[in-house]
Amino acid sequence: MIATIARHQVRSLVRQRTFVSLLGVFGVMTVLAGVLGWSSHHTIVRVYDQAVILLDGQGRPAPPNPFTLRPRLSLLSNMVVYVPLIGALLALVVGHLSVVDDQSGGVGRLVFSRGLDRRTYVVGKLAAAAFVLATVATMSTVISAASLLIVERTLAPSDLARLVAFFALSWLYLMVFASIGMVSGVASRLRSLGLLSALGAWLVITFVVPQFTSGLRPTASLNPITDPVSTSQSFFRATAKLRPLSIAEQYKQASAHLLQTATTHESAVRLLGHLVPIAGALVLLAAVLIDLVGRHDYSRSASDA
Amino acid sequence: MTTSPAIDVQGLSHRYDTELVLRDLSFVIERGEVFGFLGHNGAGKTTAVNILTTLITPSDGTALVCGHDVVAERHEVTRMIGYLPSEVRLYGHLTASENLEFFARLSGVERPRAAAQDALRYLECADLADRRVSTFSTGMRQRIGIAQAIVHRPEVLFLDEPTSGLDPIGVRQLRDTIGRLNEDLGMTVFMNTHLLSEVARVCTTIGVLDHGELIYKDSIAETLRRFPDERSLEDIYVRMDGRSS
Repeated sequence: MIATIARHQVRSLVRQRTFVSLLGVFGVMTVLAGVLGWSSHHTIVRVYDQAVILLDGQGRPAPPNPFTLRPRLSLLSNMVVYVPLIGALLALVVGHLSVVDDQSGGVGRLVFSRGLDRRTYVVGKLAAAAFVLATVATMSTVISAASLLIVERTLAPSDLARLVAFFALSWLYLMVFASIGMVSGVASRLRSLGLLSALGAWLVITFVVPQFTSGLRPTASLNPITDPVSTSQSFFRATAKLRPLSIAEQYKQASAHLLQTATTHESAVRLLGHLVPIAGALVLLAAVLIDLVGRHDYSRSASDA
Repeated sequence: MTTSPAIDVQGLSHRYDTELVLRDLSFVIERGEVFGFLGHNGAGKTTAVNILTTLITPSDGTALVCGHDVVAERHEVTRMIGYLPSEVRLYGHLTASENLEFFARLSGVERPRAAAQDALRYLECADLADRRVSTFSTGMRQRIGIAQAIVHRPEVLFLDEPTSGLDPIGVRQLRDTIGRLNEDLGMTVFMNTHLLSEVARVCTTIGVLDHGELIYKDSIAETLRRFPDERSLEDIYVRMDGRSS
């Protein structure tokens, strides 16, 4: 029965214009990350080549090519920005669309008059989102690997493994947002309010919480002028202790290490430590979803507004 | 061998928060009947159907469908029933055939694709099979809605205001369909409706619900015999409803 729900949901999703449009945007951004990496590589190498000619003419030794010092995967550093922005929006829409059709128009009444267990229903919906987002992550892996091959002509197995690990991490991160889309969809009486509240949660997780937990002065992003007077900022030092709970930061840190753009080295155990809050958030949201769907009155339709 | 009635309701009550919407409802519907459940808006007809289709749990009393308790034997009940709500939406992005296959699978039908095609053929709308439901008119959606309700060949069919939004031709087609389902397939039909003329033409038994109370239940023939001076069923309904208020 889980497979029936999941297959039905995937089929329904791929027919919806909103999903297809966002998927297209994410695909373009993934290609763009590769193009930007290639462009930056190409420009710097040309500047380097000219500098080498100039230095050679002056009889001075040339420094090493900067790209030989940089890890190859760092060319894809833009993906760490695109996944929490476009990818998370795509995941919210996947989650939202997975439940709203059953909320409105009496379809949920038909589904649950068939003796379907509500827990099975939730697992089926999560399985559908997992499959769709895994497909997106796989496609992104292929596009990114192709971009690297075009630029570097070769891709080491260790780099490919890191790339796969990065997109597996991204899949886990996106599943959190798909679950948020489902939870807000089930909890809201109005269809549009469900998506708006999911977007609100995305804004808070992606932009607001990291401002506090990163221990930065939050106003710095609005007014990047150094404080004329030093303040204690004890409040922000306290909120910085909550950093392990900020899943956006955990994702960025883990991604930076996987793509080798981080300035420090972390052990595999510490790297796995970044996954715990993300996986924990997913488990918590799944439990909330099961509870909400279990208590939801499907005999009453939600408004389509 | 005795067979249990299609529907057996005893002392059924339901409240939403503090509002009592069904009061001590008791009635029996035998197999093969077409039961018309009449009542004004807010009388509690849809709540009764929601309980009988296992969507909500009653506050008090018992309800059996084909001998199975709607609370304790929910799964068995759902295998016995088909349900068409008042507003049929289905999944607009999917075709009629895909919608029916999905509901057939949910009901555990062994050959869902064939069952979907059979249901469409039976309702003479096989030409709609590969069209997306979002492109359908109200009448087409209603036919596909009935097809989803019978795709697993249930024993009892619940129709909640099935004629709402239909034009006169659609109403006539629906009436014919209900008659055929009852005669050909032996389905018991439980129909919430406002259209008394349809009740007189299709139903074998009627019940009148007023403010959550069943104020009348009898066969159409007996009803017309009992109220010989009344010109139409509508006059009888207004008279009964007036008496109760």
